[in-house]
Amino acid sequence: MSGGPQRLERTRKKMSFEPGLVHTPLTPFAADGRIDFERYGTLLDFHLRNGADALAVPMHAGESVSLPDEEKRALIRFVVARAGSRAPVIAHVSDAGTGIAAALARFAQEAGAAAIVTTTPYYWTPPPAMAVEHFAQIGAAVTIPLFVFNAPGEMAGSKINAAGALKLVERLPNFAGLVDDSLDWQFMIELLTDVAPVRPDFTLLAGSELLVSAAAIGAGGLFSALAVIAPKLVRRLFDLCRAQKLFEARTLQEDAGALRQILKPGGVASLKAAARIMGRDCGTPRAPLLALDGAAEKQLAVQLGALPALAEEPRGW
Amino acid sequence: MAASQGRVNLTIAERKLFAEAAVKVVAGRVPVTIHASALAVEDTMALARHAQQIGADGILAITPYFWNPSLEEIEAYFVRLCTSIDLPVLSYNSPSYLAGVEITGDLMARLIEKLPNFVGVKEASFNSEKFLEISRAALKLRPNFSMLTGVEFLLPSVPLGGIGSYSAAGSICPNLCNGLFDSCVAGEWTRARELQFKMTRLWHLFKDQYPSSLKGGMVIMGRPVGPTRAPLPTATPERQAYIRAQLEDLGILDTEPHGW
Repeated sequence: MSGGPQRLERTRKKMSFEPGLVHTPLTPFAADGRIDFERYGTLLDFHLRNGADALAVPMHAGESVSLPDEEKRALIRFVVARAGSRAPVIAHVSDAGTGIAAALARFAQEAGAAAIVTTTPYYWTPPPAMAVEHFAQIGAAVTIPLFVFNAPGEMAGSKINAAGALKLVERLPNFAGLVDDSLDWQFMIELLTDVAPVRPDFTLLAGSELLVSAAAIGAGGLFSALAVIAPKLVRRLFDLCRAQKLFEARTLQEDAGALRQILKPGGVASLKAAARIMGRDCGTPRAPLLALDGAAEKQLAVQLGALPALAEEPRGW
Repeated sequence: MAASQGRVNLTIAERKLFAEAAVKVVAGRVPVTIHASALAVEDTMALARHAQQIGADGILAITPYFWNPSLEEIEAYFVRLCTSIDLPVLSYNSPSYLAGVEITGDLMARLIEKLPNFVGVKEASFNSEKFLEISRAALKLRPNFSMLTGVEFLLPSVPLGGIGSYSAAGSICPNLCNGLFDSCVAGEWTRARELQFKMTRLWHLFKDQYPSSLKGGMVIMGRPVGPTRAPLPTATPERQAYIRAQLEDLGILDTEPHGW
């Protein structure tokens, strides 16, 4: 017995991983700036009780770029343990250097992550060929599924194109899907046109709560940072889109759009302030981000209070 | 009269003749909107007034070319345009073609509140957020505001309140266009997806040197409308052979009408 068939079976199982509705938690910091793991555990439990099919940590909403490598590793280990059998954990391993990201990917697999997700490398604004090579090396470092996070708006325009995704499919058996935050209909359609025939279980996920158009095109998953504020809204929107009840999802999509527009200008600082307003204090962001000042937070509370969609959302933990 | 007719390469006098011919030939069978965008705003005003004189049903106008206007300037432009005629006005939002110049949801709301004849938008960002922000703001204030998409991206826009699209491919594959529209409106998303993906392959074919390739495709479909004016190239025989192969591969030659 070579163990070959079992290995193949394991690989197939891993490849068919469908993330579903993925919550992307904040990272709570204590007053001294360290990760507040006690609060983090409470936050993770909240996500797991309130509709998360999987967790992705630490995404940009979790201030991944402000966490040194050791902290990232401690955080991933902590989340895998806390989630236990309740939900799979997708580890975010993006970095500027390909080798650094690949090492973190290997660590994540050993720590028990179900999959990894990565953006284009920071700072370099790579042309398509460089981005493909970056992803290929990170993906080759592990056997768990790799998801590419395509967010040109956050990454100074750098992105993966459909041709690059097709090259990655050829190189990586574990290239399982793409999380799209380009919001670009032409790209999403082109991607699925090119990739789905070659890899039928390839998953397109929406990278933010702008889900209806993506779901019409064929997205089957969602990465949600707003779930910490409005988990019911996000879950209902996701379920309707998943059931392809797209006309029915429009009102919820408009509600999610309204919430997003309020929080978008302040980024993570607004998200953390909004979480506090909802009774789920996760502290303030780390430098270089500035916390909202008192007046801005008061104004945010007024704006959130005016959203009827938030009335049914849970307050506190 | 839109970009696919090469309106940026026509003189104002020619465009007026085109508009007159269109209104006369269509003769009320469907509404005719005249595209009034021009480099000079004064020309847009003249085209808009002319459209009204000849009995067109409405006009379409993009944000001003070239100047990278601010939101205030775009607002002033549409206020002047809409108050200078009685015809319904459709705006045209195309940030990717116009270096990021766009009509935001907030601006759309202000224009709707001020202008009773500001009736719709051809929204050609092809972007989930931009479309949603405009539809969300506009349909709340004016429920019959026409949310149209540019070219035929109906699948991602109809679920958000889109009611149609401008269609360049209609000159090549009207059956496909109608099938896509019907399946979207009926919420038959599996079929709509199949047709939208096919349509997008066609769009990628035609957007290369647009609208030269579209005219090249019309030759193949037996509906030649002549060369493209400079600075656009005219589809070469090699390009036409490539277009033919693609149309064949997509099954367009077997499923769509040939000739007039």
